[in-house]
Amino acid sequence: MGTIYKHELKLGWKNLLIWGICVGGMSFACILLFSSMEESMKDMAESFASMGAFSEAFGMTQLSIATLAGFFATEVGTIHTLGGAMFAAVISTVMLSKEEDGHTSEFLYTLPVSRGKALTAKWVAIGTEILAFNLGCTCLYLTGFAILGEKMPMKEFFLYMLMQVMMQLELAAVCYALSAVFKKNKLGVGLGIVLLFYAYDLIARVVPDLEKYKSVGPFSYANAADILSTGEIQTGAAVFGAVVLVLGLVVAGFVYGRRDLAA
Amino acid sequence: MNNVIEIRNLTKNYGKYRGVSDVSFCVQEGDIFGFLGPNGAGKSTTIRSMLGLIQYDSGSIRIMGMDSKMDKEEILKNLGYMPSEAMFYPSMKVKDVIRMAAEVRKQDCTEEAEKLCERLKVDRNKKINELSLGNRKKVSIVCAMQHRPKLFLFDEPTSGLDPLMQTEFFELIKEYVKEGATCMLSTHVLSEVKQYCNRVAIMKEGRVKCVDNVAHITKTSAKRIRMVRDGKAEDFLYEGNLNELYKELMGHDISDILIEEPSLDEIFMKYYQEEREE
Repeated sequence: MGTIYKHELKLGWKNLLIWGICVGGMSFACILLFSSMEESMKDMAESFASMGAFSEAFGMTQLSIATLAGFFATEVGTIHTLGGAMFAAVISTVMLSKEEDGHTSEFLYTLPVSRGKALTAKWVAIGTEILAFNLGCTCLYLTGFAILGEKMPMKEFFLYMLMQVMMQLELAAVCYALSAVFKKNKLGVGLGIVLLFYAYDLIARVVPDLEKYKSVGPFSYANAADILSTGEIQTGAAVFGAVVLVLGLVVAGFVYGRRDLAA
Repeated sequence: MNNVIEIRNLTKNYGKYRGVSDVSFCVQEGDIFGFLGPNGAGKSTTIRSMLGLIQYDSGSIRIMGMDSKMDKEEILKNLGYMPSEAMFYPSMKVKDVIRMAAEVRKQDCTEEAEKLCERLKVDRNKKINELSLGNRKKVSIVCAMQHRPKLFLFDEPTSGLDPLMQTEFFELIKEYVKEGATCMLSTHVLSEVKQYCNRVAIMKEGRVKCVDNVAHITKTSAKRIRMVRDGKAEDFLYEGNLNELYKELMGHDISDILIEEPSLDEIFMKYYQEEREE
């Protein structure tokens, strides 16, 4: 099991590095821009906060964009949330299907390792990559805050990053279950699911009738503006997310453990 | 002799497509067992069922005395498999693939792997995506043999290998079998079966048509007749009483006649033609 885990990490490190540099780097650059934009942001903050549903959808009614926390929640948070979710979807959607797509299933699954163990090793590799991605990004953001010398609510920040890991794991579990079904790499489906959930979260924040269904989506409990303004998470949504995560893994194990593997 | 492989009434359907039906045969310890059949006969389905890559509908498969479903991991520890399409992770180096196969088995196979790489002329520092099919096959042979398993399972092993490597491959098989291993290989190449296998199963349309010793199968009443009758050259396969043939030929001008055993190819083809006529 350890060999497959190490093998997956070896195969995935370039992907991790590219996504880490892109998402983390972009967000880091965005943080550094705050000092140069701080003055103009003060003028814009009021108008940003009074754009009705649009302001609400992006959390600009809860935090002022003129503060680092507000700027982080509305600008950096969007990049990290969407980028991190896409990264999680990309690595997990192909994690199982790549063996059949690349015709390597006959090599891997004729080695003395059960499908259950291979599945576990691959999932642990996904978890490790997600953790490493967020850890790297966290370090970059902390460096950014230090360079700026601005005050940032650290407890809220770490809670946000923790919820990001949880949200990415939930999305990864959903995509992992899909990967167990597909015999070909269907990256588009994974990315489509992320964008669908993201759009659902935005709509649910704007449309009052959908407010009570907001917690169904994984982005609901990992929203930067919500967490940075209140310092709390939506427990119900997070528990629902954890259930979806476990369900995704159970479905992946059930389907993949029983189905015929293509040559 | 112990049965290393025991397949009883194996049936596998792929929905509307035919898989295999009621397949039964045994492979004994020390056998080099040929698994013959045209494309789509069910050879790969049988092999993939044995390896647990596909779930069969009914029947039973016992390998080295163990159930193929219940004891899959234990079976695979003592088995070396080479698929017909030898595919690996393109970005990996040959040496890393070989090491990974050994590490999963928790065995130090360095010495045997080195020996095999040398004999098969495998460049361990090349990347998989730089290799031709033949060279990937050689890597696959190393992965299948380096842990010195008790049972070898090869799916069309020689396709893509040059003649020299084919000979080397069979030399290796003979050496391992001499040391107590058993080998089952599926192939289209009848000469390989005749030259290297002691027993053979012939598959057609998802069913086993015949399981026998190669020597027994080739010993048939059919004869290849080549002659010049009344100035005209004739070449045909004759199955029947030779006295009847002599009687028929009397009164003809026979300037040349050669009666010989038919080749395995001809016997194989005869099997198929008979089936088609049925």
